[in-house]
Amino acid sequence: MSGPRRVLVAIAGAEDPTIVAELAGLLGSDAASLEVTLLHVVDSGPRGLLPIGPGPRRGPWPAPRNAPIQGRLTASEDEGATALLAAWHDRFAAGLPGATITSELRRGEPEHEIIAAATASRAGTVVLAARPRSGPTDPGPRSLGHVARFVVDHAPVPVLLVRRSA
Amino acid sequence: MRRAAPPRQRPSTKPPEGIHLTVRAARARGILAASNEEASISSLTSSAPLATVIFLVTIALVITRPRGLTEARAALLGAVVMVLAGLLPLGDAASNVGGHWNVLLFFVGLTGAAAIAERSGLFEALAGTSARLSGGSPRRLLVAVVLAGALVAALLSNDAAALVLTPVVYVLVARFGLEPLPYVLACTFVADAASLALPVSNPVNVIVSDRLGVSAVSLVPVLLPAAIAAVVALLGCLLVIYRRQLPAAAPILPAADSWASWAGVPRPLLAAFGLAVVVFAIASALDVPLGPTLTTAWLFLLVVERRCGREVAPLEGIGWSLLVFVAAMGVLVDGLSSAGVTAWLASLVLGPVRDLPAAVMAVSAAAAAVGANLFNNLPAAFVLADAVHGAGLGTASAHAAAIGTIIGADLGPNLTPVGSVATLLWFVLLRQRGLEVSTWSYIRVGLIVTPITILAALAVGLLLGVPR
Repeated sequence: MSGPRRVLVAIAGAEDPTIVAELAGLLGSDAASLEVTLLHVVDSGPRGLLPIGPGPRRGPWPAPRNAPIQGRLTASEDEGATALLAAWHDRFAAGLPGATITSELRRGEPEHEIIAAATASRAGTVVLAARPRSGPTDPGPRSLGHVARFVVDHAPVPVLLVRRSA
Repeated sequence: MRRAAPPRQRPSTKPPEGIHLTVRAARARGILAASNEEASISSLTSSAPLATVIFLVTIALVITRPRGLTEARAALLGAVVMVLAGLLPLGDAASNVGGHWNVLLFFVGLTGAAAIAERSGLFEALAGTSARLSGGSPRRLLVAVVLAGALVAALLSNDAAALVLTPVVYVLVARFGLEPLPYVLACTFVADAASLALPVSNPVNVIVSDRLGVSAVSLVPVLLPAAIAAVVALLGCLLVIYRRQLPAAAPILPAADSWASWAGVPRPLLAAFGLAVVVFAIASALDVPLGPTLTTAWLFLLVVERRCGREVAPLEGIGWSLLVFVAAMGVLVDGLSSAGVTAWLASLVLGPVRDLPAAVMAVSAAAAAVGANLFNNLPAAFVLADAVHGAGLGTASAHAAAIGTIIGADLGPNLTPVGSVATLLWFVLLRQRGLEVSTWSYIRVGLIVTPITILAALAVGLLLGVPR
């Protein structure tokens, strides 16, 4: 195959750093032709559950002033996500010398955003951890988290699932 | 007026004369005279259907808040309609509101003190301490968040913990690069689990004991251990549920000095809070009415806040809407009560077990939990407390009923994000507006946590709160 290979790597944050080496082995030795986009999605679900948003309230207790709180929440999300992406950027730069590595930050439901990003970037492959939160998973029933399951179902391109067997 | 009596007064105390009381007394006697079903159903007056409809429509308005109608206004509207429909004489409604002066003052002081705590940076400092204590371990952070939440909920009310501490915890967890969901849920759940502890921990606690004529302070020796049991049970549940979802270490370790510290909270204000807690505890033990004590404590904190050179907005954060809501709800429930609805409910729910305090406690906990999830925990607590009061239980049973109702109404709402199945409507509405909210991820945990914490608290309640 000629020309750069575009790979979209979805990073939840808590993945084992060894997945970089695993991925390097899978993608072959020609790292210089790789264009890796690291994608982190800030999940909007938990924030929607905070009892301060536009949703149902907790009874008639006075609501705290909303605007500064929302600003602080967004700032902390940005800080955490930027630091995560920076840390993983360094790991990928070390593990895939010569590859072009860029970072992307999105907000929303992770599974939908990963599909949207894969479509938008015209990546050749989507890479993600099978169950980023639960550590090592052996192949078998329920070895995919719901995000990975959704991406496998909906991705417009081949999906590479990395898992670290126990 | 019965309600004007200090909370210490037992329900068996003979009330002074009054038209409304005559109605009540007659109804109570009707129930007392015969606990068989026929007699209790006949105690429903002809106005019962109308009163019930007014009450239920009001609750529906409170929950759905159409066109930005606030809870307080909806309740007020219902109360006005109840009086206009002739279900409760205006004089009775007025004396009812006046009779709850202690509870209303209590909420002024409580919401005011919580607002000062919010302004002072106390919550951020507490979260910062949790972050430092966790050392970047997600599991230890979860424990620290639960303990911090329990402390805030016990001392400054469950709503302060849920509304103010949860966003602070979210910020903390996001900076660690951790997924916020377990922590956000832990915070919301512990706000309710720990809210059994003290009278100040949950508006429900004061309302129930006030309406039952049981001293809120006299319940603390039972409810404080029950709260500890509930928090421990909750913590156990969360650690089991999230045993595989929490990574071994946080992906990011922000610098230790980047967390808010106690140095940011003015020293004198911190000391004033400590002093207020001690004074309030002593006053409670001496049976001084809680409302004036708490309001005084709030005024004292305001003065100290101003002396610290802080920008003071004395009336900001006072729960006026809570006051209106509680007053209006009291009138509404009295309307129901005059129509014989709550007494009928009492005979239905408590009739067969009225002389067995242990059973009364369990049944009222279950009824309050179901009611809290059907509509909302405050109205549920109001109705149930009135029902229990109308049932004319003996002292031991009334005590047990207060404990049971508080346990059910405090912990029951954990099942759904805001304590009511009906509010799930909100999530449908939000989805239609394109805002994705993961309701299921909450309810799934709530379905496990709620029954276990209620059982844990109830076990302690039965052990300590039932005379043998």
